[in-house]
Amino acid sequence: MTATQAALDRVTRVPGVRGALVVSAADGLVVAEQLMDGVDGQAAAALTGSLVGRLGRTADSAGLRPPAFVHLRGDAGSVLAAPGPEDLVLVAVVGPDANLGLARLEMIEAAGRLA
Amino acid sequence: MTDDIRSLTARLADEPGSLAFLELAEALRRRGQLEAAYKVARGGLSRYPGLADAHDLMARVLSDQGDLAGAFDAWSSALQLDPMRTSALKGIAFLYFRAGDPDAALDHLQRAMEVDPDDPTIRQAIGRIGPGRPAPAAAQPTAAAAVPVEPAPEPPSRTSHLFDGVEGGERGLLLVDANGLRLGGELSSADGADAGDRVAAQLAGVSREAARATRLLGLGNWHAIAIECPDGHLVLAQSTADTVLLASREPSVPIGRVGLLAERAARAARTWLEGQS
Amino acid sequence: MRALEPWVVQPLETFLAESGARLTLLMTSSGQVVAQHGFSRSLDVMTAAALGAGIVASTEELGRLMGAQKFEALVHGGQRQSCMLAAFATPRGRWIGLVVFGPETSVGIVRLFFDQMVQQLVTLAPREQQPAAPMLAENFETELNASLKALFGR
Repeated sequence: MTATQAALDRVTRVPGVRGALVVSAADGLVVAEQLMDGVDGQAAAALTGSLVGRLGRTADSAGLRPPAFVHLRGDAGSVLAAPGPEDLVLVAVVGPDANLGLARLEMIEAAGRLA
Repeated sequence: MTDDIRSLTARLADEPGSLAFLELAEALRRRGQLEAAYKVARGGLSRYPGLADAHDLMARVLSDQGDLAGAFDAWSSALQLDPMRTSALKGIAFLYFRAGDPDAALDHLQRAMEVDPDDPTIRQAIGRIGPGRPAPAAAQPTAAAAVPVEPAPEPPSRTSHLFDGVEGGERGLLLVDANGLRLGGELSSADGADAGDRVAAQLAGVSREAARATRLLGLGNWHAIAIECPDGHLVLAQSTADTVLLASREPSVPIGRVGLLAERAARAARTWLEGQS
Repeated sequence: MRALEPWVVQPLETFLAESGARLTLLMTSSGQVVAQHGFSRSLDVMTAAALGAGIVASTEELGRLMGAQKFEALVHGGQRQSCMLAAFATPRGRWIGLVVFGPETSVGIVRLFFDQMVQQLVTLAPREQQPAAPMLAENFETELNASLKALFGR
């Protein structure tokens, strides 16, 4: 099992996670995915890649180091993102009842092992 | 199993979508059956994510289970849905007190007092936390101590400041319009230089991009973006349709607390903007 | 942004607003321009349309030789700007989109909203009532000149 697949497995096992994917942030393209029905991987990759890039520039302009974790919260769920090495980002789309604390911990650890 | 739990369980089994989960989970919690209470509360919350009662219930269960961070987040969600929810204000005050921050605890209890001056438990809690501090009279709050609670208080005068009453004042807060222009607040980088305008420029369009992302991914409207960096935390909250509020704190401040600060500052900003028009 | 047919306007405007594309050209598979945004000279439009149509035709032929299915899109990534070429079916025939974009956006974003634009074009395209009359050389030049005038607002 590759590191990418292992990362996706860990994250998708967290209750409430509807899908996880590894994204090339600069391109906004899917590298690998594990999604439930109804989760648009192409959109998640493109939109999250763009947003994480913008937020990284925001952090930089504030004199901060690049983000280790991003959480975009909506009415009906959230998008979580944990940047990894080589411009890869681990992204999860979660429902409103997801165990966010566990998802966050799993994602931060798994993102660090992406290659 | 007592009769009430039995009958509530049967009712929930018959109608899984009913609100009986609120009573059932609370009854289980009071009996100490926390795991069962958690499962019932979680199931109900998944059906009713917009119900402040459900978040409040979950917070009580998590607090009893010792998951204080989870309880904090759940009470924060309850407050976002219902800013006048005294049980959530009291709950968060309790957590701050447990965390060794009596000032923040008192701040939340005072807000609860403003909402419900007749609740004796609030006065008791204030008395317990600060025996040397005078318990505030149940009168109108002073302008300096007031934290805006819906419905909005009197519009501020034109000389009033944007973040009056918000913890820390303007420090680490930025109010930005849709064009990336700073409307108020101050933000410094680690070397002390003013970073406000630079950061504001980066935030141009972020509200639109966040709204687009949540909309196209079927997540509804966006509420907040939390950004955890190794050397600082940032939280973005929508203040009005055309403005966004950024709160920045050191990494030692829990991200949930930064989120709460951002929400409060966003509300203060809304009130100030209404007063400017 | 200029378009020969009014029903193309709204999908193209939405695409431009969402994608951040710098230049966009929509054309038929034979290189006849339908809409453009960002070009300042008619010569550039004609050249880009001809080259784009040729590249797509060559790529599809290459795909056929390799036994592959049709390529959905071709992306040339550059340092300062990149270019995407994509062919798609519409009720008005096969069209090609040429999009030039910079580092302020991404190929993922461009593709996401390009696909949405294609869906809207397919939905909005009027269905042909009768087959188009064969194009004569003299008519072609007249139509081309009229198209270029319309696309550049002259």
